[in-house]
Amino acid sequence: MSVFMDLNLLFSEDRTRLQNLVETAAHLGFSTVAVNYVFEPSAKKKQEVPAPRPINELIGQLPVVQGRSRPIRVLNRLTVVMSDASHFRPNAPEYRRFDLLAVQPTTEKLFHAACMLHDVDIICISVTEKLPFFFKRAPINGAIDRGVVFEISYAAAIRDATMRRYTIANAVCLMESCKGKNVILASAAEKALELRGPYDIINLGQLFGLSDSDSKESVSSTCRGVLLHAETRKTASGVVFTMKIQQEALQDSADSEAPAAKRAKAT
Amino acid sequence: MTSVEEAEPSGFQRVVLTNASPYQYLKIRLVLEDERSRLSDVELKSFIIAGLKSLHGEVGAALNFDVLKYDEESLTALLRVYSRGLVKLWSSLTLQGFYQNQACAFRVLQVSRFTGISSLEEPLIYLLFHVTQKKRISHFPHYCHPLP
Repeated sequence: MSVFMDLNLLFSEDRTRLQNLVETAAHLGFSTVAVNYVFEPSAKKKQEVPAPRPINELIGQLPVVQGRSRPIRVLNRLTVVMSDASHFRPNAPEYRRFDLLAVQPTTEKLFHAACMLHDVDIICISVTEKLPFFFKRAPINGAIDRGVVFEISYAAAIRDATMRRYTIANAVCLMESCKGKNVILASAAEKALELRGPYDIINLGQLFGLSDSDSKESVSSTCRGVLLHAETRKTASGVVFTMKIQQEALQDSADSEAPAAKRAKAT
Repeated sequence: MTSVEEAEPSGFQRVVLTNASPYQYLKIRLVLEDERSRLSDVELKSFIIAGLKSLHGEVGAALNFDVLKYDEESLTALLRVYSRGLVKLWSSLTLQGFYQNQACAFRVLQVSRFTGISSLEEPLIYLLFHVTQKKRISHFPHYCHPLP
């Protein structure tokens, strides 16, 4: 059996709040969590992609997972909210500093591109508004073939009754197309009281139209699949990877860091 | 031969349930933002019913469940519900986020078909139960929680 993971804890500047979140997650039995940095590019001005803070600086002593005598694993994750095709830059060196990369497309065209083309791990389904588009079979099947997963977050459903309606409606809509495959359930919690235990989430998945076993996989083995997929993004299909061993190598351009398989072909 | 049986009384008692237990028991704890505030048992039950009603409507509010035990100090309660109502009750507890404008969360500590049995013993009894029922055991119940 795979361990439980919650791949979405919202980053906040408040250190104690984040610490509290991670501690609660460990207490509830999550073995791995990811701190999520949301990046929303706007059309007007150019914004910097946020840089991940080192985990030991953020949290310090990692709490021990309840029921397993080892400390919790904390990862970094970036979510790019896309409202335009130019917002996601493939192979941007800023993205490479994060362990996980997610996008949240807002239009059907971008959703299609995210499913079929972009090299991402997670596609976030919007849960705070009525879906602006229908999920088509073709892009969803494409995403499943590529190993990209869809994420539904439940914290909005706890905060507000209207959001709850949208969350359930959008989730059920997604399940109709993907039949419960490649779905993860994550919290997107800002506060510790918005986190729920893994078994609570499994039960909640049944409300979203997942079957018993798919629901369980959505907090455990599918999440593990995401982490493995993220490894392949960083390395050449997870087979070969390069690392710097000397300080002098720092002068190399960022481009050469990319694995050969992922570099844009020179024409 | 009967005398032999009398001479060696068995040291354990075997409990066999012939039909599935109709109830599920939930052990829950309410965590409130303000840790000093307390609820009475009546307030707790009406709070749970309000949650059921907001998520599942009138049909959900009509769900039968009982608060068997309630400890006001630790805000821990033992609920009993018919098995078919478990998903509804549990999901409404999960999505309950506010009690009188303060953030709250229900922590489900243990879910079981039996009361008064620790989560360590439960798989054993589950096994015994299914063996005696001659059912195929596909998986262990995923809902036995260790108590924190």
